[in-house]
This record gives sequence, C-alpha cells and structure tokens, in this order.
Amino acid sequence: MSKHFVTMTVNGTEQSLHVDSADTLLNVLRDRLNLKSVKEGCGTGDCGLCSVLLDGRLVNSCLILAAQCRGASVTTLEGLLEDPRVKVLQEKFLKYNAAQCGFCTPAMLVAAKDLLAKNASPTADDIKVGISGVLCRCTGYYPIIQAIEEASEAKVQ
Amino acid sequence: MPPYDIYVPEDLQDALRYMDDNGETTSIIARGTDLLPRLRRRLISASDLLDISGLEKEMRYIREVDGTIQLGALTTVSDLEGSPLLGRELELIRDAAVKFGAPQIRNVATVGGNLCSATSSEDLIPVFLALDAKVRLSSVKKERVLPLRDFILGKRTIFRKSGEILTEVELPPLPPNSSSAYEKIGRRNSLIIALVNMAAVISMEEDMETVRQARIALNRVAGRVPQRAPSTEASLAGKRLTQDALSNAQAALASELSLTDDFRASGAYRLEIAKIYLGRLLDRCASRLGGG
Repeated sequence: MSKHFVTMTVNGTEQSLHVDSADTLLNVLRDRLNLKSVKEGCGTGDCGLCSVLLDGRLVNSCLILAAQCRGASVTTLEGLLEDPRVKVLQEKFLKYNAAQCGFCTPAMLVAAKDLLAKNASPTADDIKVGISGVLCRCTGYYPIIQAIEEASEAKVQ
Repeated sequence: MPPYDIYVPEDLQDALRYMDDNGETTSIIARGTDLLPRLRRRLISASDLLDISGLEKEMRYIREVDGTIQLGALTTVSDLEGSPLLGRELELIRDAAVKFGAPQIRNVATVGGNLCSATSSEDLIPVFLALDAKVRLSSVKKERVLPLRDFILGKRTIFRKSGEILTEVELPPLPPNSSSAYEKIGRRNSLIIALVNMAAVISMEEDMETVRQARIALNRVAGRVPQRAPSTEASLAGKRLTQDALSNAQAALASELSLTDDFRASGAYRLEIAKIYLGRLLDRCASRLGGG
C-alpha cells in the first residue's frame, strides 16, 4: 500500500492530501472533504451515483483513484449550487417531483448540468442518453426527463 | 480493495524504464474502468500498478499520417465520438462509440485499455479487427507493431511482453469505395455488455455494385473473444449485395459461429441476432456508400 501526496482543486478550493493507493476519489470527497452529495451506490461504475466533473469530464468518482488526481480540478454538486443553470434544474426537479428517495438526485443534477453545458437544447432522446449513466431505482425517470427538458427551455440570466 | 502499490511515472520514458525493471509483477492502469471493478471484486490481485493516466500529453491523440489514422492508447471513447478524422468510411467507429457504456465511462475509457482487456465485452475489438488495425508496443529497447488479430490471443490473454506498453493503435487506409457500420444488442441500450456486436467493412469494385472485399468481425465467433468471420467474408467477395448473397452469407455465418449458452443469452439467440445484424449492416454499408 503506497502513500501519495496529491494536490487538487475541489469546488474551487485547493486541497493537499496524503492518500493511500487504494483510496478512490469518491472516498476522499465523502470521507475527507465531507462532500456528501457524492453517493456510493455500487462502487463498480454501474450506477453513476458518484458522478462528478473531473477536469470538466463527467466521471464516476468510484472508478478514479485519488492518486490519479494530481493537479486535477474536481467539481461536485456542492460546487455547482450557485450555478444559475443548476438553480433552474433544482426548481424544475421540485416542480415535477423528480426526486422520490433522492439518492440519485445529486448525480442526476450533475449529469444534467453537464449535458446542458454541451447541448443547450437537447431533445428528450438526448436527455435520456445524457442521464443514461445514472440509475434511479425508484424508476422515476419520466419526471426527471421532463424537469431537464423544461430547465433547458428556461431563460437563464 | 486488496493492497497494491502505485507507481506514477514522470513521462513515457520513465514508465517504460519502470516496466523494464518491474514488468513481470506490474499491471498497467489507465483509467481503470475495467481493472478497478475487478480488483474490488477480488477477481484479480495486483501487487503493483503502473498508472499511465497522466501521460495524456504523449499518448492521447488522433492524427492522420499518410492516410493511416494513429490513435494514442489513452484516446478516450468520447474522443472517438467527436473526431472529424473518423467520419466517412470509418463511420463504424462512431456507431460503436455512441453505444459504448454510458457518458461517465466513455469520458475515461481508453482505446488501449479496451484492447488490452481482451474479452468479448470490449466493444472496440470487433471494430478494430474489421479495420485490420495494428497495435504498437513500446519497450525501453525497441518498438514493435503487430496486427491486432495476433495481439488478442484469447479471453484476457494478449501478446504483450513483460516490459511493454501498448502506446498506439494504427488504422491503415481502406481500399477505395469502402463503407462501414456497427451494431450492438444488450438487455438495455446503455451501459451494457453486448450479447452480440458486429462490425462490417465493405469495399466495392469500381462498378460500386460488386463486393471486392468484406470484413466482418463479431464479439464471439468460437470461444469468448472477438474474431473475424472468414467464411462469411469469403461468401460475399465477388458478389453483388442481393437477397441470395445475403442468404448465402447468413448460412456461412451460421456454419462458422460456434456459440455456447451462458447466463446472458443462449447460443441460438445470439446466432439469430447475428444473422439479422449481418443483413442490417450490409444494408447500412450500401446506403452509406450511396450517400457518399
């Protein structure tokens, strides 16, 4: 088990940490930096509940080793709360009751934000592809898709 | 996870030196989308990992050199999806990229990792087999380039010597009048292991109606590793793409596929889908030729 010294920027703040070779980015975000929006569902890249942005790429943080994050910039939902588009997404999620148990909601919001950043006016099919890596076990996909669709149409500042 | 050490190299030369000293006991990790779940499920143990994910400057590129497309081993599936160099006759690459995993996986899964994982679940292997791709293996002392079909030896078995790192995939130019297509079926559309996937590259004679060469690859032909389907290819060569030619090709496919049942699907089901896909892919190749 090797030790690694890693400096990364998390939600705009530089963090320097000693991590173990077995630590994942998910562990570090939750347990060391107390960012609890990032959930562990499967731990093997199947459910997407640990989705974050790593240098602008939507990734499963359970499949990224902390030791691989030297110099990286990581954004979790906590770092997106002031983002105007995310605020609209949150409103629309509330309006459509797009959260049942809520466990997938942070990842859905991060995936939706990533989708809208790349494609400002997605079709329903584009939205399905965009959130296809995040599993909702309440199977509440339909209101989620509606909420994202309406959020994409809303004017933001 | 079981304990292991990670070595983080400064650059590719440093990584090659490390492999020269420790290759026998080292697993190479790029973005880990295949390796980490297997480590975590304790399907494998690794005492040492060489982390090459930081070598993107040297190993993440898509470029064209004298008609050959070169893909750095750290090129991601999302990179393939967006590259203007991979349009036209290489359209099957985009077909495969958009059906690969989910966005979170496509953004990090690498070309080199997909080939080195060497199972029937690696969607890019049939694609690159159909394109007669070559892989470049580098070590401290030398480099060698070999056809992908000679690199994939069996399920999770590749012809990589202990000091080597797969650094590049090369796609030689296709004959004139070529087009290509790819299909995949799983139990849902996204984030799924293929029950059947198939890649086809068709090259026509000058008349644009007679097949000069057909290249067909599937995730399973016999055994659990992607391969080409040579009898099917031979049955199409010199033929026009008629219903008779398709029926003969489907018969050839049925004769050379030896698919067993497993927990995902029966062999009979896989065969039925493969026959349907053959027709669908030939249709799509033909229409892509027409459409320019």
